Amino acid sequence: MSTFSVKHTTQQHVDVLSVTGFLDAHTAPQLEQEIQKYSDVPTPKIVVDFKELDYISSAGMGVFMMFIEDIRSKSGDIKLARMQPKVYSVFDLLGFPMLFDIVDSIDDAVVKFGTSNE
Amino acid sequence: MTKLSRTYPFSPRSHRICVTSDTSELKKIRDFIERTALQLGFAEQATYNIALAVDEACANIIRHSYKHDTTREFCLEIFVEQSCLTINIIDNGATFDPLSLAPPNMKEYFSKFMKGGLGIPIIRKFIDEIRYQSADSDHPYNVLTLVKRLS
Repeated sequence: MSTFSVKHTTQQHVDVLSVTGFLDAHTAPQLEQEIQKYSDVPTPKIVVDFKELDYISSAGMGVFMMFIEDIRSKSGDIKLARMQPKVYSVFDLLGFPMLFDIVDSIDDAVVKFGTSNE
Repeated sequence: MTKLSRTYPFSPRSHRICVTSDTSELKKIRDFIERTALQLGFAEQATYNIALAVDEACANIIRHSYKHDTTREFCLEIFVEQSCLTINIIDNGATFDPLSLAPPNMKEYFSKFMKGGLGIPIIRKFIDEIRYQSADSDHPYNVLTLVKRLS
């Protein structure tokens, strides 16, 4: 039984990772592997779509901290989109909006990358 | 090693669960906490927050007290006493007192791209009272007690 999954799509040269289910210390390594795949490019542009994510613990949130410094150093970014209020409340509580763009739609996130070119 | 579930003096009034020290058990623990807290009258958001705090505490036991040794076991007992929901998380691994760690300064945390250490701030935020009793010769169990007031 899988309690977590990640689906990859692209939108205007941005990698969109849609996460579903429960992201905790057990499932966080799955997300880590997926982000690793798409961060190994010259300028990673990643949006994580939280619409179907029902739960996140600090282990899941920690995955974003693992990658953000490296990705920003390559002028890329990870943007976070469409969180359910109960999930957003935990990010907000810890102050993640200080470091991450957290937006209401995937389109908003893609626009923020300003991606009309590669 | 003697099973905790057979030796620990659980409160007769408690709901309880014992699991192996494996992160695959976290979902089962959250389900247990949610089911019990809802049954005891907590609102949905409060229940979600309590389950998250307990998840963080249990993930620390798996990682720090048992170092991912999946042959070990820990237990939770939960009961209502004096308008408080009390959750005891019991292990017999290495002592790991979450109260001994200073909470991170989050501005510094983000400006320096720090990693880890976010579980305990979550526990502190959502739980009203936290106590830790480390194992000794008279009481060979570490017990982390999380108390949430019914409000």
